[in-house]
Amino acid sequence: MKVKVKSWTAVATWRWIANDDNCGICRTAFDGCCPDCKMPGDDCPLVWGQCSHVFHMHCILKWLNSQQVHQLCPMCRQEWKFKE
Amino acid sequence: MIKLFSLKQQKEGESRTSGKRTSAAQLRIQKDLSDLNLPKTCQIEFPDNDDLINFKLSISPDEGFYKNGKFMFCFKVSQNYPHEPPKVKCETMVYHPNIDLEGNVCLNILREDWKPVLTINAIIYGIQYLFLEPNADDPLNKDAAEVLRQNRRLFEQNVQRSMRGGYIGSTYFDRCLR
Repeated sequence: MKVKVKSWTAVATWRWIANDDNCGICRTAFDGCCPDCKMPGDDCPLVWGQCSHVFHMHCILKWLNSQQVHQLCPMCRQEWKFKE
Repeated sequence: MIKLFSLKQQKEGESRTSGKRTSAAQLRIQKDLSDLNLPKTCQIEFPDNDDLINFKLSISPDEGFYKNGKFMFCFKVSQNYPHEPPKVKCETMVYHPNIDLEGNVCLNILREDWKPVLTINAIIYGIQYLFLEPNADDPLNKDAAEVLRQNRRLFEQNVQRSMRGGYIGSTYFDRCLR
């Protein structure tokens, strides 16, 4: 039997690989977006700290920008350093 | 992909025109409230059911110095929540080393140790803890702290007298027994 493919439709799913399901700051799913965004994905990325805690980038930046003296991880209070 | 992109732009347009939408603070507070797991000594009340960011908490300790008392707290959550802690005031006059006579509450997580991963639940447990373990080392009511440090027995009597309604020194406390 000979089959000829006339057309095909690709479907893909994606998700962030993080060690938790929800952002500790806004409490929405990592696979969703922060409350200031409309669409999940590259526009509302996750970031990791060297302490291994993960947040929506927008959430953690808002927190770090509001801290005058020390920039600490909201989870473990270690100094926040972005993981390269 | 192109379809997704145009959908994105369309959505962004919508959000600008639709005007009033639920704020980030409201979304977060909704989650906090639905995840509440309160001890049986604590209750929250909403004076206005459509307003989730202003509410009252009552604590009726079932052990410790303040057993049988009932203390009301007022929570005001700002639009910056959870990046700022809620403002919490005690509405019941209480003789307590960590609560002053204006109702200001000295609890680390309401001030310098606040962090946005904390929740309303954590604050309620923090306040409840103050009633179980008043802390004389970090006082707002220095007189009460001094008595607690020097003479626990007298402190206990003062707490009892204040909760029954009466004077401690020159300050009158309204009755707040259950």
